[in-house]
Amino acid sequence: MAGTDPRARAERRSAGELESEVLAALWATDRPLTPAEIQAEIDGPLAYNTVHTILKRLYDKGLVLRDADGRRGAYRPAKNAAELTAEAMHEALDRGPDPIAALQQFVSGLRPEEEKALRDLLAGGAG
Amino acid sequence: MRFDVYTPLPLSLLLAVISPAIGSRVAPALAARVLTAAAVVTAAATCWSLFLLAATLVGDAPPVVAEARQDGHRLAEPVPEVIGIAACVALAVLLVSVQGAVSADRRTRRALRRLCEGHPADTELIVAASPEPQAFAIPGTPGRILVTAGMLSALEPAERRVLLAHERAHLAHRHALLVTATTLAAAANPLLRPVRGTVAFLVERWADERAADAVGDRATTARALARAALSSEHPRPACALGFTDRAVTRRIAALQASPPPRLLPLAVAVLALGALPALGAADATDDLFRMLAGVLV
Repeated sequence: MAGTDPRARAERRSAGELESEVLAALWATDRPLTPAEIQAEIDGPLAYNTVHTILKRLYDKGLVLRDADGRRGAYRPAKNAAELTAEAMHEALDRGPDPIAALQQFVSGLRPEEEKALRDLLAGGAG
Repeated sequence: MRFDVYTPLPLSLLLAVISPAIGSRVAPALAARVLTAAAVVTAAATCWSLFLLAATLVGDAPPVVAEARQDGHRLAEPVPEVIGIAACVALAVLLVSVQGAVSADRRTRRALRRLCEGHPADTELIVAASPEPQAFAIPGTPGRILVTAGMLSALEPAERRVLLAHERAHLAHRHALLVTATTLAAAANPLLRPVRGTVAFLVERWADERAADAVGDRATTARALARAALSSEHPRPACALGFTDRAVTRRIAALQASPPPRLLPLAVAVLALGALPALGAADATDDLFRMLAGVLV
């Protein structure tokens, strides 16, 4: 895999993967985003038309809404199902270690000394 | 029989002892697979050996003894009676333990199915409107990725892509299946618990490596892990096993180094170690049949 152009990697993403990334970008912020703003919030180059197509698909599924009272052409995520999921998730997590044990959580707990090392990593990195 | 039937016990201990070393040296995809295979075979062999030990009690049953005397057979006493009884008790305990693990797995699956309710079937990402940073893969057909709004807003665009690629790798490579298999193996043979912890850690490492491949940048992948870990002020304990201790720090350190080599010979050695208890148990089975045949026929 080494030596592959990162630009080529970004273009190789499937439609389903790009849908997830656009939805994730919309959820990451509190304000509605225009397609151009979404374009900037996605890692790697993505054509404006592609963003438009993906937004239309997400809109047809009822996952995003057109921002009615704000700027024209801006989108925000639909919250209903996400709120129900949040409730169900908290319920499952509060029930104890049983249900979470099998979940593949992205990260687990940290110790204080580890926390410092990670902060140093983020401060020293390019990001 | 005298000797073979006990081999799965020391071999399980040996597998448990070497598993962390295998986990930190061999490429995670290969290490996770061979450790899971070895653990499952070893657990099955252990249970079978206990069953054989329990079966020797049949030799002590009065009708068998009486029949054997009539036929003029001398009854072999391969195992002391007390060991046969202990094996019976151990089998019963392990049965309950496996049953517990199976129903815990069912409960988890049910809880996970509930999380997908109300979301269109053909969508990969399920967002939970919660400020608590959480992310995990929900296995199934198709598998889903659940991420909270809190986690998404904590990450940079490139890091969100790492997160999605990481969870996608869990689903694509059926990591839940490997973890469930080792969980059941550890329930059937508690000596194998460290192997379960190692495999749980290895599937995270495996998904990290796939994510680094997908975004083409190990440093960004490491930063995504660091940011996600730091974003949760009071993280829930994922699992209290020794090997997952400091897991995030160790995963980040691994991403800062070059990808680990495959080390095929070491992997083959683990598989061979996993096969040994099965051979021991098979040999013991043969001995038991011969003994019973000598008595009953």
